[in-house]
Amino acid sequence: MSDNPRPSTARAIAKLIVHYPKTQVAVSLLLMIALFMALPMLYKDTRSDAFLADDNPALVYRDKVKEQFGLSDPIVLAVINTSDNGVFNPTSLSLIQWLSDEVSSLDNINADRVTSLATENNITGSDDGMDVEPFFESAISTQQEADIVWSKVSDFPLYMGNLVAHDKQATLIVAELLDVKQVEDTYQQILDIVARSPNGKHDEIHVAGEGAIAGYLGSYIDADAQRLNPLAGVIITIIILFAFRRVSTGILSNVIIAASVLMTLSIMALNGIPFFVITNALPVILIGISVADSIHIYSHYFELQAKHPSEDKKELIIQTVEEMWRPITLTTLTTIAGFMGMYFAAYMPPFKYFGLYTAVGVAIAWFYSLVFLPAALAIIQPSASKQIGALAKSNRLDKFSRTMVVLGRISLQNPKVTVGLFSIIIISGIFATSHLVVNEDRIKTFHTSETLYQADAAINAHLNGTNNLDVVIEAKEAEALFEPEHLKKMEALQNFALTLPNVQGATSIVDYLKQMNRSLKGGDKYSYQLPDNKALIAQYFLIYSASSDPTDFDEEVDYDYRIANIKLTLNKGSYVDTQEVVTQLNDYIKTSFNNQDISATLSGRVNINYHWIKDLGRSHFVGLAISMFLVWAVSSLLFGSLTAGTFTIIPVSSSILLVYSAMAVLGIDLGIGTSMFASVAIGLGVDFSIHTIDRLRSLYQDHNGNWDLTLQELYPSTGRALFLNYLAIACGFGVLISSKVVPLNNFGTIVVISVSTSFLASMSFLPALIKLTKPTFISGYQPSDKTITRRWIRIPSIILLVAVAGSVLVNQPALASESETGKTTKSNNLLPSAEVVVANINNVDDGEYATRNLTMTLIDKRGKKRVRETIGYRKYFGKEKRTILFYKKPTNVKGTAFLTFDYPGATKDDDQWLYLPALRKVRRISAADRGDYFLGTDFTYEDIKLEGKIDSGNYNFETIRSEVLAQESSPPIQTVVIRGIAKNNVIAKELGYGKTEFWVDVDTWLIAKSNYWDPKGKLLKTLTISDVSRIDGILTRHRMTINNHKTGHTSEFLFSNVDYKAPVSDGLFTKRAMKRGK
Amino acid sequence: MKTSPRVMLIQLGLFLSFSALIFSCLAFPNLAIADYSASFEQELALDSSDHKQKFEMLFTPEWNIELSDNISMTFIGQARWDNTKKLSNTENSHYSAPDNYASANGPLYYSDSSEVSIREWYIDTESLGAYWRIGKQQIVWGQADGLKVLDVVNPQNYREFILDDFEDSRIPLWMVNTEIPIGEDSNLQLLWVPDLTYHVFAEAGTEYEISSPLYRPALPQGVALIGLHEDKPSSPIKDSNFGVQYATFYLGWDLTLNYLYHYQDTPVLYQQVRANGVALSSEYERNHLAGFTASNAFSSFTLRTEVGYSSDTYHLMQTPANKGIHQSSEVSSVIGLDWQGLEDTMLSIQWFQSHLTKYNPNVVRPKNNHIVSLLLKRSFINETWDLEILALHGLDQQDGSVQSKLRYMLESDLSLWIGSDTFYGNKDGLFGQFNNKDRVLFGAEWSF
Repeated sequence: MSDNPRPSTARAIAKLIVHYPKTQVAVSLLLMIALFMALPMLYKDTRSDAFLADDNPALVYRDKVKEQFGLSDPIVLAVINTSDNGVFNPTSLSLIQWLSDEVSSLDNINADRVTSLATENNITGSDDGMDVEPFFESAISTQQEADIVWSKVSDFPLYMGNLVAHDKQATLIVAELLDVKQVEDTYQQILDIVARSPNGKHDEIHVAGEGAIAGYLGSYIDADAQRLNPLAGVIITIIILFAFRRVSTGILSNVIIAASVLMTLSIMALNGIPFFVITNALPVILIGISVADSIHIYSHYFELQAKHPSEDKKELIIQTVEEMWRPITLTTLTTIAGFMGMYFAAYMPPFKYFGLYTAVGVAIAWFYSLVFLPAALAIIQPSASKQIGALAKSNRLDKFSRTMVVLGRISLQNPKVTVGLFSIIIISGIFATSHLVVNEDRIKTFHTSETLYQADAAINAHLNGTNNLDVVIEAKEAEALFEPEHLKKMEALQNFALTLPNVQGATSIVDYLKQMNRSLKGGDKYSYQLPDNKALIAQYFLIYSASSDPTDFDEEVDYDYRIANIKLTLNKGSYVDTQEVVTQLNDYIKTSFNNQDISATLSGRVNINYHWIKDLGRSHFVGLAISMFLVWAVSSLLFGSLTAGTFTIIPVSSSILLVYSAMAVLGIDLGIGTSMFASVAIGLGVDFSIHTIDRLRSLYQDHNGNWDLTLQELYPSTGRALFLNYLAIACGFGVLISSKVVPLNNFGTIVVISVSTSFLASMSFLPALIKLTKPTFISGYQPSDKTITRRWIRIPSIILLVAVAGSVLVNQPALASESETGKTTKSNNLLPSAEVVVANINNVDDGEYATRNLTMTLIDKRGKKRVRETIGYRKYFGKEKRTILFYKKPTNVKGTAFLTFDYPGATKDDDQWLYLPALRKVRRISAADRGDYFLGTDFTYEDIKLEGKIDSGNYNFETIRSEVLAQESSPPIQTVVIRGIAKNNVIAKELGYGKTEFWVDVDTWLIAKSNYWDPKGKLLKTLTISDVSRIDGILTRHRMTINNHKTGHTSEFLFSNVDYKAPVSDGLFTKRAMKRGK
Repeated sequence: MKTSPRVMLIQLGLFLSFSALIFSCLAFPNLAIADYSASFEQELALDSSDHKQKFEMLFTPEWNIELSDNISMTFIGQARWDNTKKLSNTENSHYSAPDNYASANGPLYYSDSSEVSIREWYIDTESLGAYWRIGKQQIVWGQADGLKVLDVVNPQNYREFILDDFEDSRIPLWMVNTEIPIGEDSNLQLLWVPDLTYHVFAEAGTEYEISSPLYRPALPQGVALIGLHEDKPSSPIKDSNFGVQYATFYLGWDLTLNYLYHYQDTPVLYQQVRANGVALSSEYERNHLAGFTASNAFSSFTLRTEVGYSSDTYHLMQTPANKGIHQSSEVSSVIGLDWQGLEDTMLSIQWFQSHLTKYNPNVVRPKNNHIVSLLLKRSFINETWDLEILALHGLDQQDGSVQSKLRYMLESDLSLWIGSDTFYGNKDGLFGQFNNKDRVLFGAEWSF
């Protein structure tokens, strides 16, 4: 737009579109198709962990604990038998045995980590110390034998409630997964096993647990989305067909829907953003919003056609665009503002992206409605249906219009009553707000009729529960957990936890020690207590490990007896039911547990959920405030009046407050699904009031300041369009009400209520209020006023300003609260593509030449170290890189030198030479086997050669997430994680790696950590890099530690005396230099 | 044989100057940057009847001293002590070293159980566009393992035949070694070797005394040996050796062209038939050696080739006619192929051949001589364990040797090994002559 935009600017653009319609349509469609190519890259992430940013301290710590104790969210099978003997009958016990065996044999199940009556051991005293034996080994054939098993189990307090119900009627088979990502398949396989299991007459099998939830959620939501999205499309198409009675309108609306929904998903895919659980609502919402714009265009176009039947249709299209682009743009901007409020306020990545990408979709819909739609109309040139034409001729109104006129009449005749009614709604809403309950329960995502929901309920009824809270005990020194004093503290902590609501069980090594103590003291019940002697405790563990599998305690205590886990079990998982447990435990730990020798930290699913939900309320209200402010600011600017801005948000405010009242009355909690509604409701609801005010302003001009006529005229035309708009949105969201995903269902219900209220308020409350107040932003409006048109130029910059202000507003308190915990995180901006990351890594300056000392420490699995000291030089010769390494110590390798010429490109093999002082000979060595280990270290020749760069010829990369990487000796860093899959099997074999993941520091673009999987997909090595600092202005990695998980061997490379300035002579990279040792 | 006063004087001079140097380093630690390291090795060899063949202790200290920015000095000394005395001549009551050494070379102290010597002592400097290494040093030419075609710049000590590490058995020489870089990837090496030291063979009566008729003239029954005359080159200037090597890297190939004008390190034993028997005269003969090497890596394979042409080589004849010696030029070559396709493993085969251009049926050795070798090296558990097996097999004599060694690195600086050396085949052959000298080894090396 020029500095002096004339009213004809919009017309000029519209003319351009209408005169070259085929080009516009072709370009629009091509753009669409081009973006669709990216769609297959979209991937699903239905993990509940996805709701917390990967860098969330609670999540990071939980993962650490998981790794430490080898824990994963398990799939839990419950066998329930309500007959007299419960599950302790021959058939049920055989079933348990059979199920344990079958489940263990699954590929993705960690067979060592299947816990059931059939796998666990009983600890009893014996003549020669302690017997650790399975509860039953051979098949149980008589009831008598089954009774013996029950007597053994019931005498082992540790398992009561955790593994076996106190009432004998239920027992669990807990199976841990190897790869959480394959959980969906594994869950299905387990269901298959259950389907063919040899059940007894009274045996019921339930499958539950966090693993099952994650496994089922994906397919559950998929099925739901596959049903909902077409339904929404069909319903909306029907409404359009019904309203305009032209097939072309339905088709074109669907093109816009497709563009908006699919292009948005494609852009998400291109940015590496996964499809989260809540993303399922995105298509439905976009369907509703995107169709609204086209409804307004159709309405106006057909209306003009009816009024001017002889006018050239192209001219009518131009007129339509000229008149409609402003309200459409206005509503688009306010809707975007609403969703951006969600983006700014949300702290959970799925919500942030939901806000951001809905805004993107709305913008796409706007573009296609104003460019593609007029162009397509210009080609098709549809005529208004006979009915519309006839109605126009006879000056009659159709059903939609008539309904609106009635509504107008009622509200305008009694403006005070109308205002009063809505005032009551507003006041009761404000009151209800204080009664809102913030809560979330993941199992309630599922419909109560789902077997998973029922399984969960059954297990929670019979046993200690399906919800885990871990308390990780960390002592300063190894073997500190042999100290009776520390164990007593743990015991006290466990006892305290058991007094808290919903905590049903608490287990740790303390319980095992008690049982061992008791067994060794002849099984006396009074001996079920902790031994009070350090040596005795150490001895117990020794005896136990001598009598059984030494890995039995892996889940409870680490190898050094320094870190232990107390596992608490809760029978309820919702936020309301667990938050007190978490806060009280944290208080107890702070005041009564932690001291300089030992400390405790909470972890586990319940703790994660606590962190996940605790800020939900705050986030919701902050988001609401931001959205409201943005919408208010944008409409104030657009209408050139602060009062107008305020009037605009009145209907939305009343609708939100009504929703709060409804939630309070219906007992709906403010949870994940429901908390999203506010931003959506604002973004959508404000459209009605904007159209209303905009239209009233021009009608006021048309009717020369007659208020009554102005208000009356609003209803048949704009009222009709808004009614259709409302119907489309309401039906779109209404579809969500039929969703089986409970949070989506709640969300749909609430949005429909709020949009209905907004629509009603805009069509009754707002006109009534205007009638009573006769505001000057309507009466004083001059369409020719240049100041208003000039404002249009400033809109983008002002919106930007508002957005920045909003983000600053939101991020300030967030940063402040984060710095309290000593964590610094960045907002989760769009992830860069893997290509960009790789290019950035490879562009990091590493100096033209370098000199450094390198100390290699090789540590075998028993901790024995070998140290080699070297000095290395590197220099670029054009694109060719030459590296030489001289061994200095120990004496037996002194003088060994290794020279490499690394040629750019993949076509030429590198050249390598090794000088062995014992042979006094420079030996040419083959460089083809780049996956071979470099001189006895755990690095391969390729690793050494690349020096932290990446050869993009080896892998296909993708960005998978961003993560704050905790580091041992320095503050956490923000990283982006890219995954590389070897391009083919040959390369995988050559490299020795089938897959890699690199954690890349986004500040420095240095790789901070990497994982390597062997070609068979087993985790092979982990590399961590630390002590990064700048030397001579060049980022330098000083410590690289690589762990070989297969062999337990570790290599640590320590760089020192790094110098990028001291000149490095070309003559160093020669065989002569190798022989001379310098 | 008594050590001449001149030799003693030179040796005393060497010893004193070395002592002075070490003393100054110790006294003025800031004067030069000295880097000291040493290794201490103990090796026990048991022969086939479980008798100790050697129980040798080797102490090898090494100093690397930066005398200035441009000059550095390396000193490697060695003390050896072995009281088993099976590898040295106990009859040697004079405590004198074998006389193959030039006056400035050879041990500083020598007895039948011990030896102290300067292994290497040289100065490195860069000047006049060339790299200079001046002093006592080892030069290795060629690409072959265990077999020598071009690796003849330094003589060798055959006290333990070929069983000792080449590193230890090669005799360092005083020389001037200049390397002139030419362009980016080429290098010209010039050697001037005034040190007139030659091979040291196992002394008479020791374990590895040469008995094969290939190298030791077999006198006809009843013919007496009436005297041995030894003639050794004596002028360090006139009798010095010269060598040139041009090395380059071209299209992925490592190439060298070599030329050495030298005295061969094995004396030629001329026989003179007298009325009362045969007199032997041991003389060193000059030779021009020209050759080349080429090596390159192809995928997992490395090809190594080495070819040498000697203008004058001397071979024993079955009869004393013509002084019992046949003179011919000789072409020798080695082709080796290394395979590193398996992780931590190298498998290497070599084919060595030598061909006499002029032949006489009375020559003891055949016209063409072939040896094949097989080398297997493999390391385990991040090079904590190393296994090395070297087998050499002479195709003409149907004899050979198999050496194996398993080394375990207990600590960074402490390694232990066991090994075995076995010989088989025709006892007139190069390897077969030691058919009954098989041994097993146990060793430890501590370095610091």
